[in-house]
Amino acid sequence: MARYIGKRLIYMFITLALIATFTFFLMKILPGSPVASADKLSPEQRAVVEARYGLDKPLPVQYFDYMFGLAQGDLGISINQFKGANVTDVIQSRMGPSAQIGFQGMLLGTFLGVLLGMIAALRQNTWVDYSSTLVAIVGISIPSFVFASMLQYFFALKLEWFPVALWKDGFMSSVLPSIALAMFPLATAARFIRTEMIEVLGSDYITLARAKGASGSEIAFKHAFRNALIPLITVLGPMAVGILTGSLVVEQIFAIPGIGEQFVKSIMVNDFSIIMGTTIFFSVFLIVVILIVDILYGIIDPRIRLSGGKS
Amino acid sequence: MKNSKLFWLLSLVLVLSAFLAACGGGGDSSSETTTETEEGTSESGASGEPDAEQVLNLIESAEIPTMDSAIAEDAVAFNILNNVNEGLYRLNQENVAEPALAEGEPTISEDGLTYTFKLRDANWDNGEPVTAQDFVFAWQRAIDPATGSPYGPYMMGGTIKNAAKIAADEMEKEELGVKAVDEKTLEVTLERPTPYFLSLMSFGTFLPQNEKFVTEKGDDYASNSDNLLSNGPFKLTNWDGTGLTWSMEKNPEYWDAETVQLETINVDVVKEPATAVNLYNSGEKDRAGLSGEFALQYADNEEVVKELEPTVFYLKFNQERNGEKTPLANVNIRKAIAMAFNKQDLVDVVLANGSLPANYLVPTEFTFDENKADFREVNGDVLSFNAEEAKKLWAQGLEEEGVSEVTLELLGGDTETAKSMDEYLKSQLEENLEGLTVELKAVPFQVRLELDQNQDYEIQTAGWGPDYQDPMTFIDLFVTDSSQNRMSYSNAEYDALVESAKGDLAQDVAARWDAMAQAEKLLLEEAAIAPIYQRGLMSLQKPYVQGIVTHPFGGDYSYKWAYISGKQ
Amino acid sequence: MTQNLEKLPKGSFERITVSAEQAERISKPSVSFWQDAWYRLRKNKGALVSLVLFALIVIMSFLGPVISPYEPNAQTITHANLPPKIPVIENLGIFDGVGTLGGKEVDLYELKKVEVNYWFGTDGLGRDMFSRVWKGTQVSLFIAFVAAAIDMIIGVIYGGISGYFGGRVDDIMQRIVEILTGIPNLVVVILFILIMDPGILAIIIALTITGWTGMSRVVRGQVLKYKSQEFVLASRTLGASDSRIIWKHLMPNVLGIIIINTMFTIPSAIFFEAFLSFIGLGLQAPDASLGTLINDGYKLIQYQPHILAIPAVVLSLIMIAFNLIGDGLRDALDPKMKD
Repeated sequence: MARYIGKRLIYMFITLALIATFTFFLMKILPGSPVASADKLSPEQRAVVEARYGLDKPLPVQYFDYMFGLAQGDLGISINQFKGANVTDVIQSRMGPSAQIGFQGMLLGTFLGVLLGMIAALRQNTWVDYSSTLVAIVGISIPSFVFASMLQYFFALKLEWFPVALWKDGFMSSVLPSIALAMFPLATAARFIRTEMIEVLGSDYITLARAKGASGSEIAFKHAFRNALIPLITVLGPMAVGILTGSLVVEQIFAIPGIGEQFVKSIMVNDFSIIMGTTIFFSVFLIVVILIVDILYGIIDPRIRLSGGKS
Repeated sequence: MKNSKLFWLLSLVLVLSAFLAACGGGGDSSSETTTETEEGTSESGASGEPDAEQVLNLIESAEIPTMDSAIAEDAVAFNILNNVNEGLYRLNQENVAEPALAEGEPTISEDGLTYTFKLRDANWDNGEPVTAQDFVFAWQRAIDPATGSPYGPYMMGGTIKNAAKIAADEMEKEELGVKAVDEKTLEVTLERPTPYFLSLMSFGTFLPQNEKFVTEKGDDYASNSDNLLSNGPFKLTNWDGTGLTWSMEKNPEYWDAETVQLETINVDVVKEPATAVNLYNSGEKDRAGLSGEFALQYADNEEVVKELEPTVFYLKFNQERNGEKTPLANVNIRKAIAMAFNKQDLVDVVLANGSLPANYLVPTEFTFDENKADFREVNGDVLSFNAEEAKKLWAQGLEEEGVSEVTLELLGGDTETAKSMDEYLKSQLEENLEGLTVELKAVPFQVRLELDQNQDYEIQTAGWGPDYQDPMTFIDLFVTDSSQNRMSYSNAEYDALVESAKGDLAQDVAARWDAMAQAEKLLLEEAAIAPIYQRGLMSLQKPYVQGIVTHPFGGDYSYKWAYISGKQ
Repeated sequence: MTQNLEKLPKGSFERITVSAEQAERISKPSVSFWQDAWYRLRKNKGALVSLVLFALIVIMSFLGPVISPYEPNAQTITHANLPPKIPVIENLGIFDGVGTLGGKEVDLYELKKVEVNYWFGTDGLGRDMFSRVWKGTQVSLFIAFVAAAIDMIIGVIYGGISGYFGGRVDDIMQRIVEILTGIPNLVVVILFILIMDPGILAIIIALTITGWTGMSRVVRGQVLKYKSQEFVLASRTLGASDSRIIWKHLMPNVLGIIIINTMFTIPSAIFFEAFLSFIGLGLQAPDASLGTLINDGYKLIQYQPHILAIPAVVLSLIMIAFNLIGDGLRDALDPKMKD
């Protein structure tokens, strides 16, 4: 196992280097001027401004400068969004709120989803099953921005249970955004758990357990649930991506100083170094999630041989 | 206990000063702000006593990119700079530039090239005095290529002596036409006489900076509210440099601190218009902008405040794309398009935010001659909506080009308002001009800039807001080598009119005015551009908020004279 | 309590002889895999109803713009922002053209002197929502189906190969997937939309360029799970070829999850398109999709609910239908659920 993880870590750094390279050249093809007031400047003045940010150097030099900086944890300097600020500082200052609502949303969504999925599977083809399926479907049928603004309207503006927006009231500020983010993992988890539970419940060893006189709840939790959890881990990665994507919308609607809304803004103002920095940051996050998924997969299902191999 | 006594004393002072201000100001006709509540206006005129608690809660639509006046280039930064700092001049409640840090009017040399300002006694909020050297330092910094400021060269180039050459790295920054004669005397030398020079002095780029402080902080200067010095009505606090929240607190060191009534202004960035309106309705915020659909929904609300901005939107007709002439090189085709869409319906139904149909380039209620007559009165309307005339011109144009069908790309912004407007324009143009197909292309602003730079578009919706209070800020946009003229429009007569208005006529106010009007008329009669509308701004504002002044250029608002009255 | 078998009357039982040939005979009619699946799908009421519902939506998406008297993009600016009004049904108090204006309930049709009826109302530019919603449905379904199909094909092949062969092949293939999933798809999507001419094609390509990785991951996981199980081992021991193992043993087991995953790809494709509209990179105006319609409408939820509600209902119906059909198909295709 240790050797496997070590190998994966090495791969991880290679992957990151490739992603950084890819993103770097992506940014260079991306249309749009890096200087905000470009329309007010003559070409000569524009060249002077670009030189200030090292944009006049030959591409390979820029690339190696960037990669060298990256290796030392330096993500460069923002040109437009926060003029002159270190991208690392920007990301650090925005990470907290995103991590909090993301984590809460994921936790809440997965928990409720697993519960819903299990109930549905155990009461397959009854009204319980149908209504929990419906909840899960409605959860993903409403785009997150619609759902978030409905939450805001009813629970904050009308009922006044929670703040309308802004990041000022500690945990209370995080409740509605977390619920909005929870919908995607909830629906995903519910669907997968239901499918897997039904499959597991139909398998031979459950029949055997039943024949041996195991009780219903014992079967559900001890046997079926553990096996049904495995595919849930495989969708953890996509779920994390969903949370990331969702955070762009939810943070904007609830005016939360998170990394998602900051990322949208940086794209809109063409702040290349912030787009690149945030992309790399997101990448690290996703790759780590994927790595954890694979390791967990090996721990939970011993039949999977991590080293692979056909023989 | 001690605090509460102090509090009462303070509020007493505030009440008194409000009375004084009300008498001195002669009512508050805060710019074009018209509150629709009848009772609201009468109340503020009659009593308008400030509350004990002077806290204003505002929303901003974007974060602060920088607080360094030398490199600022966006509305948010200029707005805050206008409230936490002060330059030689400041726009007053009537939007006239009046001496601020300058003590009285400057002495101007006979050739109109040298301005000598006397500075008043004023301090930075660390107690150090503001000196003439602070101005020299800040201006040199803004023009220095090493700073990489876009607005420095833009604002100073062609106006202040040697600025253009320094920006192009052909001269040392020390040769900029600004000099500290002594600690309190500043001498500015211009490239050529500039009639609107004093209104420029209220612009953010010309603010002073404390050299010692800036050098000491180095790269950290202006990176958060601790690394800033303020010399204006307020000082910035609680800003961490990248966050969505900050405050402005009254600056006790400000020379005119007794006029300032607000104690605290809390600002939060809210990018989602719906959220901003919800925050307003929940009472957390005192003012919220109404964009797009919201403007229509709240049009009859009594808390709505309408303002007319001096920002004009127009279609740019690109006459040459990728080295080839476009159909828009034909003047009849341009004129047909310019006259083929109903501007009144557009502002009434699609925009619905108090915008005006524009049949002009220089906005109305923006610049006035010495008799207080609006610049608009000279030319009146050109290129009004006229479907019949448009059809005729269109047929003629098609015939001249020898085609029966034309497809044109319309490049526009990606905001909701821009998109609906472009959809409306497409439908109007296709309906009124037979054989025309309009293809819409909506892209983010920075991408549009790039396409504009490369002249890679056919028609583009663009907007322009003034940088100083003179028709020239609009008129000179389309001279042949202007960075705004990326559409191959070139008219020697137009160029000559603009050049003479900038040069030999600079001292002759009336003739200069006339030349600019002629230039505008020429530009529009040739339909180099097609004006669409002059932007209106609609906001919700709580009735207890008084005295926020809206400015046509530079920082958008002044809170110096604002106060809260009757909130409880 | 024992029974005396000897005492049974003779002649009650007849002795039959089973020939070897008859022992092999299958009493049930022979059905193929797909016939069997269809048979079981038919028994699932939810899936059947959904299938009919979905068919109706598809038909309406083509018929709707045709039967509406208005073009989807035709603007009648004086008829802007009208609520829905349908003759007959209006007497029931719904779809009666009454909306709020300045806080009061009024019949906006009377107020604006509009003689005609808009069944789903109009939007801010006076366009008929009925034809726009169905046209938008058509566009959304097209985007979703094409994107899901491409995702499925690439994902299954890629994930299958990677999971089945394992080892170095798997390593390299997974590194590639890691790089692709490691970059937020938003960046990739934006790049494509900016480089290509904005439109349906750009959105489809942008959605699929990284979208298939999800499918490949699930397929790989399933293949990994099944390939080390006993029945595959048995088959391999008996000398089955790789392709036989993949198609006969692994695919039927993985099919359920592929279908479910596709059923998720379709809504997520529709959603991502809506998300793109939200950040201003969606379809180019004046084209509409359910995503852009919902995006136009959600801000007006407090004032003009019909602009949001109708496309949202259509979207939800499509989602529910997809999910129930998916469930039905999964049950029907599961080889372990033979009855």
